[in-house]
Amino acid sequence: MAILKINGEDKIFENSVPSTLKNLLESLKVDEATVVAEVNGQIIPRGNFQNTILRDGHKIELIRFVGGG
Amino acid sequence: MLIERHGESVHKKLKSATVGIAGLGGLGSNVAISLARIGIGKLIIADFDVVEPSNLNRQQYFVEQIGIGKVTALSDNLMRINPYIKIDGHPVRLTPDNIPTIFKDCRIVAECFDKAQQKQMLVETVLNTMNDVIIIAVSGLGGYGKSNEIQTRRISDRLILIGDSSSGIEAGFSLMAPRVAIAAGHQANAIVELIIEG
Repeated sequence: MAILKINGEDKIFENSVPSTLKNLLESLKVDEATVVAEVNGQIIPRGNFQNTILRDGHKIELIRFVGGG
Repeated sequence: MLIERHGESVHKKLKSATVGIAGLGGLGSNVAISLARIGIGKLIIADFDVVEPSNLNRQQYFVEQIGIGKVTALSDNLMRINPYIKIDGHPVRLTPDNIPTIFKDCRIVAECFDKAQQKQMLVETVLNTMNDVIIIAVSGLGGYGKSNEIQTRRISDRLILIGDSSSGIEAGFSLMAPRVAIAAGHQANAIVELIIEG
């Protein structure tokens, strides 16, 4: 069992956490083009989602944008 | 006149503030007008677009301004409301390359784009490359009713997020003046609070 804290809430994964931030967003079915992401307090530019490795216990903030203005 | 209304210390803070507005649609045009009315010192406004008939359901332009660049049209409207503010207009498409330069004199930038990807790009760029700048972004203001679901949330030291986070145009919500104005009012109000209370 592994845990990621996403937007303040524990999300539990049966085996291991998704290997990268990109994989996490895919598993959450979130379009990465609309997300600003922070891992352990660090803003991750969208271009680095693919090579941002996630580990058990990481804290993640996902700010999702929907259109309209 | 504004000193009498706000008191001298508040007036001074507003007068010495420079605020960036990225996108001059329903959010940006409303935020700019609110800030101009209370005597903001300087607005740095940016939008590459021209006024179109479909904008008039929620954006602060007039029929006779159709076809005119939004930077020009909004500057004209702001000058009619308060000719004592300074306006620095940029009729360009904002990109990660030009955002830090255009808004370099701002401590506060309002994210007023329409498309989700553009919102993402601006917020990411400001948080990553403009160290002391606070960004006030909006996500979720479509449709009508549910006024109280539009909220202002302080996500971090440098990010304030406004909206209901769900009623996007992708989900079929149309944009209407009242609810867009509520979100823009939250945005302008958060900006005033930051200017006055730091």
